[in-house]
Amino acid sequence: MQLAVNIVVLAAIYALISCGYVLIYRVSRVLNLAHGELMLVGAYLLYSTASLLGGSPVTAVAMAAVLGLLVGVLVYVLLMRRMTGEMVLAAVLCTIALGVMLRGATVLIWSAQVRHPMEALGWSNPSLVLIGDARISLISAILIGATAVVYAALFGFLGFTRWGIRMRAAGQNPLLASQRGIQLHGVYALAWGLSTFTAGLAGMLISLDSGLDGTMTMIGLKAFPAALVGGLDSLAGALIGSAIIAIAEVLLIQFVNPLLSDVVPFFVLLVVLVIRPWGLFGSKEELDRV
Amino acid sequence: MANASGYFRTSLGEDLVLLDTRTQKYSCAIFCALLLFAPFVAKPLFIDIANQVFLTAIGALALMLVTGFAGQISLGHAGLLAAGAFTAGILFKEFAAPIWVTLPASACIGAVLGLIFGLPSLRLRGLYLAVSTLGLHFIVVYVGGEYETRRGFSTGIALDPPSIGGWSLSDGRAWYFVLLAFAAGATLFSINLLRSKTGRAWRALRSNETVAEALGVHVAGHKLLAFVISSTMTSMAGCLFAYYRSFVSVEAFSLFLSIQYVAMVIIGGLGSILGALLGTVFVVLLPYIVEWVTAILPLTASISGLIFAINHTVFGVVMVLFLLFEPRGLVGIWQRLQNYFLLWPFRQTPLPGSR
Amino acid sequence: MNRSKLIAALAAFSFTATPWAQDAYVVGLSGAVTGPNADAYAPPVESVRLYIDQLNQRGGVNGKPVRLIVGDNQGEPSKAAADAKKLIAQDNAVLLVSMSVSSAYGPMVAEAKRARVPLLFGAGVCPAEVLPPNPDELQFCSIGFAIKYDAEMALRFIKEQSREPVKLGLVAMAIPVSRAGIDYAESRAPAFGITPVAKEQIPPATPDYTPYASKLKGADPNWVYSWGPWVTEVKTFEALRRLGWTGRYITAAQEPAEDELARVKDESFHVFSANAMFLENLPVHQEMRDAARGAKLTYPITRMADGWVAGMVIEQTLKHVAWPPTPEKVLAALDALKVDTKGLRGGPIEWSKTNHFRNNQHYRVYRWDTKKQAAARVQDWVAMDVK
Repeated sequence: MQLAVNIVVLAAIYALISCGYVLIYRVSRVLNLAHGELMLVGAYLLYSTASLLGGSPVTAVAMAAVLGLLVGVLVYVLLMRRMTGEMVLAAVLCTIALGVMLRGATVLIWSAQVRHPMEALGWSNPSLVLIGDARISLISAILIGATAVVYAALFGFLGFTRWGIRMRAAGQNPLLASQRGIQLHGVYALAWGLSTFTAGLAGMLISLDSGLDGTMTMIGLKAFPAALVGGLDSLAGALIGSAIIAIAEVLLIQFVNPLLSDVVPFFVLLVVLVIRPWGLFGSKEELDRV
Repeated sequence: MANASGYFRTSLGEDLVLLDTRTQKYSCAIFCALLLFAPFVAKPLFIDIANQVFLTAIGALALMLVTGFAGQISLGHAGLLAAGAFTAGILFKEFAAPIWVTLPASACIGAVLGLIFGLPSLRLRGLYLAVSTLGLHFIVVYVGGEYETRRGFSTGIALDPPSIGGWSLSDGRAWYFVLLAFAAGATLFSINLLRSKTGRAWRALRSNETVAEALGVHVAGHKLLAFVISSTMTSMAGCLFAYYRSFVSVEAFSLFLSIQYVAMVIIGGLGSILGALLGTVFVVLLPYIVEWVTAILPLTASISGLIFAINHTVFGVVMVLFLLFEPRGLVGIWQRLQNYFLLWPFRQTPLPGSR
Repeated sequence: MNRSKLIAALAAFSFTATPWAQDAYVVGLSGAVTGPNADAYAPPVESVRLYIDQLNQRGGVNGKPVRLIVGDNQGEPSKAAADAKKLIAQDNAVLLVSMSVSSAYGPMVAEAKRARVPLLFGAGVCPAEVLPPNPDELQFCSIGFAIKYDAEMALRFIKEQSREPVKLGLVAMAIPVSRAGIDYAESRAPAFGITPVAKEQIPPATPDYTPYASKLKGADPNWVYSWGPWVTEVKTFEALRRLGWTGRYITAAQEPAEDELARVKDESFHVFSANAMFLENLPVHQEMRDAARGAKLTYPITRMADGWVAGMVIEQTLKHVAWPPTPEKVLAALDALKVDTKGLRGGPIEWSKTNHFRNNQHYRVYRWDTKKQAAARVQDWVAMDVK
């Protein structure tokens, strides 16, 4: 039973991170390889706001979330905006460069010490008892809830609101969308903002559960195969892909060799690339014969 | 290639020649002379930097072949280097293999890895090679770590300097010449490859894939060839790296190393051999320059403890600046400089929209 | 125009060896000050720098200042090799110090051997080459931790503290050194009558320790011993507690241990340390606090012990090196070294040609005391003979 709980928590972590990858890829066909670093920035922002506003933790969390959104929009406006229209290769290289820069900047601003936002907020993280003797920590439970809410919100947003439909349109055919009067820059900025918001949320929750240091970017990287397995432009795929990767990882840790956990997402990735490269729910890409 | 003063070659023979004008021949001769005499007058630190540049250049040239011509980002460069280095280390520790066995073995391993990871991803349009090479990186690092632990070399594998007939290669100056030879060989190989039929096919598929396919160029096959050649070269560079440092350890091959190679290619300028070389020099020298600048400026000691972070930030900023404002990289700057002098006292203002 | 002349002059000046540097004892240090493991290695580097600064304020050694040149190798072996080369060839260091991850040891050792400059390991973990009876002639180690003796200490403590049979869980981080330490503990456990029931190896950058902790808990150990970087040691414990495990935990105290005891606040979380913690309030601790007051430190003073001991070793060594210093004289001084650690360690550090580690390894055990709401010592110095 504990295994099932562990799988659900890990799947939730990966799902929350991979919806950011999917959002940006779907809307602008850019792989945002700085997602892990943006997660880190979101978590550090929480630490800063928590240290500043020690008395009111809820405001600190809210402020950190809003700041996360702003960072995403800023990244687009200052940097990625000039890359629209260029080769996708250049845009991805730009995100790599951004990631490197953010990693250096976070150490410069907040130093390499391991931080504990939980302490700064003054909250505690008790473990709740579930069915049987399976345990889950409060923050992990909140994380699962947050993932569910975020996904429901995103589905609703993309399916039913005007801006959501605009985003889908821009993703399907940018030229046609702009001809129809859809403000592409606005749509892209919104996509980046939402993606960074979810990344920041994921970073905050992970750091509340287990401390904050630079290794969080690895998690961001491991969530990338989850997005790919499901299909880089499908939100439902991201959910399913995260579940698959989480199941594989936890079961392999438990029954085979714990060291495989780092490599498992990428093994699954390679298998999927060979069998069905565009993922389970992604839109079909062309295949060349070799 | 055409420069601003015009394109004057009228036969295939003229087109294939490497150096045609007298100026080019003289400046090449002077440059080679400088390179050959430098180690006798330079300080050991500079010889070490030069060695690093040569070693890195081989890897950068390999990456340029993939990125500049197949148009794909490879994030697994560190993994390929690690594969070559570990092949050398493992063969040395288990079988005491000499360098003339380990070097070809590394090349083979590189080729095999290139096939395994290139085959599924290069058939697709888009960034699938980037993704699969990321997987390559983690898998190679995992295998290397497992080997280190299972065989008890917890702090890494130490290698003896390579010996050829009793004379062992451990002096910095001797390494300089060996690495210079390898780097020059790799450069010549790349240039010749680009002038050959394969190179022309690559140029065609870079300009317009659909038209190239229509003309009979096998697009996916040539992309795969570029990646396999690139991974072979990189593996060999990894093997040399292992011998140069006399030490192989899995921690040296991080994702940041892959990103550094990608940066070399970007900063140098995509699609040109000279770009790979200029980019290498820039990226290898950048940390030393940053260190020197922070040492000169009157900052407190605690700032100098943050060198790593400063390096990262400066590195990222430089990459972004090049991508935004100088997409043709250092080669673009070089060509603009060249054109300025070629056309002086005239100036060329390129038509808007042209390259 | 003037400014560029000035800059050019500065450039030329900085590229030549500055003459005034020759009039000092030059010690070169290569450390992982920044990089993935900065949290563990930056504090010792900071504290040894602090020690040398206040040593110079007191007049230096033999009337001459000590110049400590710090290179940041970011935990990368190639940078460590480059640092070592530069420190020896360019800065004329007579003593090299390493405060870095174990993967950087190989290149530094090779460089030191090439130039025949002694190498002191100041932070991290001691390599096997410093242990008696035949240590490598150039390698010395002042670090508190050592693979074998740590494991022996932990096993002995567990045995003494338990009345019921012990089922031991073992935790390592999936890096070669940590795994080697835990494998050694596993092999020695039967000699103490302890049965190892589970062994977990956790990859370095793991977001969630719960899967590993649940696997560990499934084997139902009543004691868990963990040896590796602090992040693995403490996060495994927290994950185990979240899963409702009620057993006792012992682990090696790394630099952050003293502060973390206050954060974790669990009585069953034991740490053993070769350094006396600040809660003991020894005179040497007051000395460290005074020195830290003026300087702006990035890390809390509680993480400074290993670096301070390294500073003491450097001072004592150089005292016995007559001017002008050469690596051979430093090597001779190191081979006959005797340092009084003023209570920071359980005993003096004594080196000879056959022992570059120490004659006795002392440990104290600490844990959190809920009644006093502070960390407290559980066991006084236990000496282990180093053979």
